[in-house]
Amino acid sequence: MKSRRDILKLAGAAAMAASVPGCRKTEKPLLESFSTATLDPLHSYPYRSWEDLYRKQWTWDKVVRSTHSANCTGSCSWRVYVREGVMVREEQAADYPKINATLPDYNPRGCQKGACFVEYVYGPQRLKSPLIRVGARGEGKWRKASWDEALTLIADKLLDNIYNYGPDTNAFFSVIPAMSPVSFCAGSRLAHYIGGVFCSFYDWYCDLPPGEPLTWGVQTEACETADWFNSRYIVLWGSNISQTRIPDAHFAYEARYNGAKLVCISPDFNSSAVHADLFLQINPGTDAALALAVAKHIIDSKLYDEPYIKEQTDLPLLVVKETGRFLRPEGVADVFYYRDAKSGQVKEAPGSMGSKTKSISLGGDDPDLHARFTHNGKEVVTVFELLKEKLAPYTIEAVAAQTGLAENDIRLFAQEFGTRRPAMIIHGAGTNHWFHNDLINRAFILLVALTGNVGRNGGGFNHYVGQERIWPERGFRAYAFPEGPKKQRFQNTTLWTYVHSSNKDPHLYNGKPIEHYIEESIKNGWMPLYPKNRKQKPRAMIIWRANYLNQAKGNEYILNSLWKDLDLIVDINFRMDTTALHSDVVLPAATYYEKIDLNTTDCHSYIHPFSKVLDPLYDSKTDWEIFKELSAKISQRATERDLKPYRDEQFGWERDFTRTYFQWSGQGKFKSDEDAANFILANSPETKGMQYGMLQQGPRRFVATDEEAWTSDIKPGQAYTPFQHQVERKKPWRTLTGRQQFYIDHPWFLELGEQLPIYRQPLAESAKYPFFWNTPHGRWSIHSTWRDSRYQLRLQRGIPIVYMHPDDAKERGIRDNDWVKVFNDHGHLVTKVQILPGEKRRRLTMYHGWERYLGFLQGGWQAPTYVKIKPTQLVGGYGHVNFRLNYWGPTGNNRDIRVDIAKYTPTAAEMKVILRSRDRKGAEKA
Amino acid sequence: MFQHQYAMVLDLNKCLGCQTCTMACKKLWTDGDGMDYMYWNNVETRPGQGYPRKWDQIGGGFENGKLRPSEIPSREDYGQPFQYNYEERMFQGGLQVMPHEPVENTPNWDEDVGALMLGENYYFYLPRLCNHCTNPACLAACPRNAIYKREEDGIVLIDQERCEGYRYCMRACPYKKIYFNELLGKAQKCIFCYPRLEKGEVNACARQCPGRLRFVGLLDDPGSAVHKLVHVYKVALGLFPEKGTEPNVFYVPPFNPPRRGNYGKSILDDPRMPLDYLVYLFGEQVTDVIRRLEAELKKAQDGAPSEVLQLLIGRDEEVRYQIPKRESLVQITNAQIQPLRRA
Ligand code: SF4
Ligand code: SF4
Ligand code: SF4
Repeated sequence: MKSRRDILKLAGAAAMAASVPGCRKTEKPLLESFSTATLDPLHSYPYRSWEDLYRKQWTWDKVVRSTHSANCTGSCSWRVYVREGVMVREEQAADYPKINATLPDYNPRGCQKGACFVEYVYGPQRLKSPLIRVGARGEGKWRKASWDEALTLIADKLLDNIYNYGPDTNAFFSVIPAMSPVSFCAGSRLAHYIGGVFCSFYDWYCDLPPGEPLTWGVQTEACETADWFNSRYIVLWGSNISQTRIPDAHFAYEARYNGAKLVCISPDFNSSAVHADLFLQINPGTDAALALAVAKHIIDSKLYDEPYIKEQTDLPLLVVKETGRFLRPEGVADVFYYRDAKSGQVKEAPGSMGSKTKSISLGGDDPDLHARFTHNGKEVVTVFELLKEKLAPYTIEAVAAQTGLAENDIRLFAQEFGTRRPAMIIHGAGTNHWFHNDLINRAFILLVALTGNVGRNGGGFNHYVGQERIWPERGFRAYAFPEGPKKQRFQNTTLWTYVHSSNKDPHLYNGKPIEHYIEESIKNGWMPLYPKNRKQKPRAMIIWRANYLNQAKGNEYILNSLWKDLDLIVDINFRMDTTALHSDVVLPAATYYEKIDLNTTDCHSYIHPFSKVLDPLYDSKTDWEIFKELSAKISQRATERDLKPYRDEQFGWERDFTRTYFQWSGQGKFKSDEDAANFILANSPETKGMQYGMLQQGPRRFVATDEEAWTSDIKPGQAYTPFQHQVERKKPWRTLTGRQQFYIDHPWFLELGEQLPIYRQPLAESAKYPFFWNTPHGRWSIHSTWRDSRYQLRLQRGIPIVYMHPDDAKERGIRDNDWVKVFNDHGHLVTKVQILPGEKRRRLTMYHGWERYLGFLQGGWQAPTYVKIKPTQLVGGYGHVNFRLNYWGPTGNNRDIRVDIAKYTPTAAEMKVILRSRDRKGAEKA
Repeated sequence: MFQHQYAMVLDLNKCLGCQTCTMACKKLWTDGDGMDYMYWNNVETRPGQGYPRKWDQIGGGFENGKLRPSEIPSREDYGQPFQYNYEERMFQGGLQVMPHEPVENTPNWDEDVGALMLGENYYFYLPRLCNHCTNPACLAACPRNAIYKREEDGIVLIDQERCEGYRYCMRACPYKKIYFNELLGKAQKCIFCYPRLEKGEVNACARQCPGRLRFVGLLDDPGSAVHKLVHVYKVALGLFPEKGTEPNVFYVPPFNPPRRGNYGKSILDDPRMPLDYLVYLFGEQVTDVIRRLEAELKKAQDGAPSEVLQLLIGRDEEVRYQIPKRESLVQITNAQIQPLRRA
């Protein structure tokens, strides 16, 4: 096969071969030897035939549309250009249809990483054939295997585990169906039919904003990014859009030209702050305090939207003072009351889970926000009044001191937030990755709810971290878990990882260790934990479309415990990432440009395809094909081994593995990946009437929404924004109270004092380790994808970087580009430092996702972290708060980590690694 | 004189620093042998060292109408296009993946660094390409007359057949936007994507820019966005006008948010980003341009739409690019040049 370089040579170098290649001219030219005395190249030039050289370079034989599946939220449609059978480059298709004439369009969606994905297709990291480990895990020693051998090994082991230890010792991990649902479902279907544990990702990666399920009863609902343009006040809060929303950021900067003010709240002067009207350089982890000060100002100055909060929020609901519980009818959990100011009567609030009224319309009532009285001998008070009490300490003066901000800036910010409408918060991982993320989310949502901004174009709390939104959800679910969620073992991965590794959270919560809460939660049936038999451990893990190990909090613990307990780790991947490197069997997958699939995102309302620009290269196969063959292999082995059906007691399911392939293939219905794509499209209201082949022509906007899944309609000519069903149509919110619920009277919330949003400091340990360890998403990678890409690394510093404020560096005698060691009691890493004046003091930043095998002399970016579970995120059995995969369960937060840093001198052995240029055996020759 | 002049306007208040432009250009034009280190389009954080390092301080351009050649930047000034030992680590049980030599400089070495003033950080992103100058110093310096300016569109090209690699152009260009291909012995630089423009397709760096901040068209076409931004609204300025090359790449100058505690005040009193620095880059006019832009923003925020800001929103490609189609030029063999027609 021709290499990419060969093709480029053709166009560039070879075409010029006639003209002195390799010659380096340094001597002075003999001017008199030229016969060009009359040539005036400023005005005309006679020798222009050479120009065809570059014209030829911009040619191709075919162009095919595809996209990327890296969990970036981009969902950008690209054209891949092929010349002489080789993919040479890509360019954004830039053909998203316009929503209307006023809104800027979505083109050209893309980023610098997508612009060089072909580097991976032909890159040295590419997996080309099945590999079976021969050295130690992670050593990088393999032998090539045939597909048959590799699949037989895996099938036998999965079957052995089922019969010997139970089906729940087989774990499956794959992330984000929205970015390629066919590839996702291929594996989830297999897990489904063999009783495997399907692990969550959105909560584990801490991309789930837990405040949304708590307050709104949804997973995540955000406007599409074109709606930013409709705003008059945009607050970037924990979201560095210039780096992490590269295809979307323009909407915010263009909104500014259209009259919006732009506020950026961040500890560092980041790439988005440079374009803000107001930059608030906040102390890390104090964001909720600022939000509550703004809420207090809005309430004190009566800037809130009174009719809106009476109808749409729980603020007028009555709470019994003594117990802290909502006022309810005796023995009823889901009916609530307010006092109607007109009649003075206590009335049942319409639209709650237990209400007979399926609307939150007040029907002429005027709920009293300020009621405080005795009812049936009990002192009752509104949530609004309780909130006011809670907010009392958050004065602008007090919060200025806490947050490190200027009082003037806070005051103007609060005033503008209360008066400029529509106003929105664009929310990101910067604030979502804290331990107290539920409280932070709830405080932020409070601001947009008080001001009536939720459910309105240009307003709201819009959270964008992770591409979790699978718009054609109904079709997806039917294909992913065909017998329904009740017949599938779902597992919150944060809990699973914590329990099955040597991670130990040293903190006490209300005087009790987290283990106490974990056991209670499992006992109450709030959170599942597999294997159910607590004497068993997970034994096999199959990972595809993900880099579990590299991205896991508590890296060092996991490597030394869970990773050792697993007997079989299988990684399905197009490149050798850290998890693949630490696996037992590696199966080579097709890249994003060699498969058929679909792609959607929160950020826009279109669907478009992956395509086979070329058939899978080398000996690789698509994920779909791999799971198809693995299912077939399982059936073949079950037959050959004469295995009797396994009775799966948990579901009363007789699992006959000789039929696994038959089931997996939908009784033969799914003959190809295209069939799967078409099934998803055909079974979802969003994509009604669409077929895979049609998407090849260009992205299509969704035609409708599934009322059960989403909260607004798709309207032609209008950007999607959520919660219009609630705000315009008065459909109850999906919460216990049927309203945006800020008061959670679950006993654990009451016990921990978090029934209302409050500010809690980050978990401390600052005396011993003075620096926060900050690992945000950045521009140079999507999680770990592109972290090892040479074209990206050449525009950074070649290896991982720790950023540090100049004054902190000076104090420690550290200079730019020094080797440094970052450490705490959980682990350490050694790499290089960059001095960054915009960094906050007492904080170290390393953009997340660096592969452990690249650049670090020791450790990795997750080495100093560990898994910490917040008790309030273990609860269940409360109205809308129940475990649901990727909707509700503990988040794998990672911002409350403290470390120290010191200059480091590499050892002699490490110097060999650094100075390898003299001995480049095996070094890449591209 | 030439008939027309292409120009590009870049609105620095929209730039993300994402380098998609850099990658687009790299993958299209400079992915061949001998070109690893060269980025015809690069994006640098300002203030900062730039690419090549200190290009703005080493000289070039004209002084009193005379060429002022400088030294040629060294390899170290451009930064290393390093390789990695992937295979060794991943498939042969070898050592950690590392660049093949310690990295001391790259084209984006001081990304996001900028500078501190009174304890507060300021910076912005400056995307750079060849300016296709009206009075190109590179052209004037080439003893072989191998650099020329196309009469039909003002694009400055280095004849890859006639270039002998003497590199006088590199010394002369004040923007240090010419690179030397050692393998071929040729000077190479941005070609303003003429093969694309000839087919009515805008430059790769512009078309692929997700920040949507590049406007391309003929400067002399009164209907073009570039013409309006440069000549009508007068909000776009060239870099280092005093170098005398009359650049045709223009920038809407950047401003940062006010300093801590200053919200509500003009960014011109007590600015976060010192005006001197902007004057250094864009000349004296910059203060005036920033004052006008600030007033336009204020106007828009108070609810009255601003004409110039509405144009800078650049809602779609039609607003940003006005590229005449000239199919005939695709087959050009230095025959006669067709007159220009708008597509
Ligand atoms: S692609 Fe556009 S936004 Fe990104 S760095 Fe280049 S000019 Fe700036
Ligand atoms: S920027 Fe430099 S290389 Fe380009 S035309 Fe001007 S002088 Fe010549
Ligand atoms: S105009 Fe074309 S050649 Fe020049 S920098 Fe942009 S992409 Fe590269």
